[in-house]
Parts: sequence; structure tokens; C-alpha cells
Amino acid sequence: MTREETLNELKKVIAPYTINKEMLAGINDQTDLIRDLKINSANLVDIIIDAEAKYDIEIDYDSADKMTNVGSCLDVITEKINQK
Amino acid sequence: MISTGNDIVALKAINITRTKQQNFYSKIISDSEKSLYDQQFSESLPFEHFVWLLWSIKESVYKYLQRITPGIVFSPTRVIINQLEAPANNTISVFEGRDFNDKIVYKGVVEFGAHILYSRSIIAEDFIFSVVNHMDNFERVLWGIRPIDSDEPDRQSETVRTFAITMLNSLFPDAELQIGKNIHGIPVLLKNGIEIPVPISLAHHDHYVAYSFAVSA
Repeated sequence: MTREETLNELKKVIAPYTINKEMLAGINDQTDLIRDLKINSANLVDIIIDAEAKYDIEIDYDSADKMTNVGSCLDVITEKINQK
Repeated sequence: MISTGNDIVALKAINITRTKQQNFYSKIISDSEKSLYDQQFSESLPFEHFVWLLWSIKESVYKYLQRITPGIVFSPTRVIINQLEAPANNTISVFEGRDFNDKIVYKGVVEFGAHILYSRSIIAEDFIFSVVNHMDNFERVLWGIRPIDSDEPDRQSETVRTFAITMLNSLFPDAELQIGKNIHGIPVLLKNGIEIPVPISLAHHDHYVAYSFAVSA
């Protein structure tokens, strides 16, 4: 899966937790989940669980802690897919 | 450096089924905290409320420490609630004030690395609210909780600022107060346009907003 394909799937994972659909369509590595997409912190665990299901991976605590912006989410997901 | 941190969880917005799933709650609470629940709270508190109570305490700790150490990584399972004491009475009638009535709040002791912080939490019908402080005395902590008519982020942000400023104006009656953000995105209080050392924390979730701030006297 290319980074762009992973990004497109990630948009679907994030979509239920943001009302900022315009910004979601144009997210890049620097887009912050809380500050830019206005995702409530209470939903961050939902996104991790949904990403685990979407990509059939397991995200450990240390990796989950890094998932604060789109770039770090893609890095963690790519790393876990490659470890399968 | 004094700080403050608070968090609110709107219980109507949580997913109860998901919260009870091990793969979900294990990303928030540690094994020792699960044991704390089994031994101390399993008969008095629904498990999903316990999980979100601990989340609100841990998020409050993060906000408290973020002001002191910008860039700190939020790691829920490394913030450990060592002690948690249930209130004698859980009937909430006051939603804003200074200090807490110990009879209606959950009192906690929290550890994160070398830091020890203390928490006060309220569990009401529709929300869970927590505040943390550097000492087990909240006489210098002011706080407030309010339901709002919108869950839209900009509206939440505007409402919680107005709510907090109303309380702050009673303490600083002759000043023009504003809540801004510093370069790290942390809320700061501005008096006549200049930042003053009154740490303030803002929270919102679904149809609730909350604030806390700490004063030096």
C-alpha cells in the first residue's frame, strides 16, 4: 500500500470524528488532529482502534502516543503494516 | 510555576459498548488501575464511568504538565492513578466555584514520571469533570461546568471563554481580560493585553464546557 493509499484510508478512519470536512479533504503530514481537525481528545482512542481494524494491525502504547498529526499516524500505520 | 488542568467528558457522547472492550480501555487504563476498579469500585460505579473518570484525570494531568513542559507526550497508560477515594454523597448541585466540597468529589493521587499531582472529580448524570493540582488542597483553584446548546467546536471555544471570563471579572473587576493562546497553543490570561500568571485550562466535549484556573492568593 502506498503512502497515498494509506492516507486515503486514514481519511475514512478520521471522518466520523471531525466536522471539518473541507480540511479533512486536504490534510497533509503537518495537519494536527486536535488543533486543525478539531477532533476531541476523547476520540483519539477511537481513531487508534478504528485504524487497527481498518489496516488489521496492532498499535502499541508507544506508537499510539505518537499519533498526534497525520504524518505521525501514517508513519505508525506504515511501520505496523510492514511488520505484519 | 503553578499550573492547572481540567477535563470534561459528556456521558451521552461516549460509546458504552466500545468502552467496555479490552482493546479500548487498555489504551486508557493500566492493569493496576483495572485492579483498583475490581477491588474498590466494581459495586458502586459502572465500568465505563470508571474508564472515563480516569481518562478525565489523565487528560487533566497532561494539560497541567503541558504548560510547564510544552511538547510533553500524552501517554494515558503511563499516568497512573495510585489512589482514588469515592465521595460519601454523589449529589451535585453546584456547578461553579472555588475549592470543592470533599463530600461530593472523587479524590485522587496521580503519578506521572517524577510528578505527583492530586485530583478532584465530579461524576454527575450527564458528565464527568476533573481538575488536578500540585497539592492536595484546592482552595486556590476556581472551576466551572456548563451545558451548552451546540457541539460545534468554534461555539464551544467561544462559550467556554465567555464563561471563564465572567468568573475572572469578579476577581479582576477593573481589568480588561481576554483569554489567548501562547506559542505552544496553551491558554493564557491577558490583562489589558499583557499575559498574567494566572494559569487557565479550558475543556469541552459534546454539549458541555468547563474551565479551571489557579490563583496565587
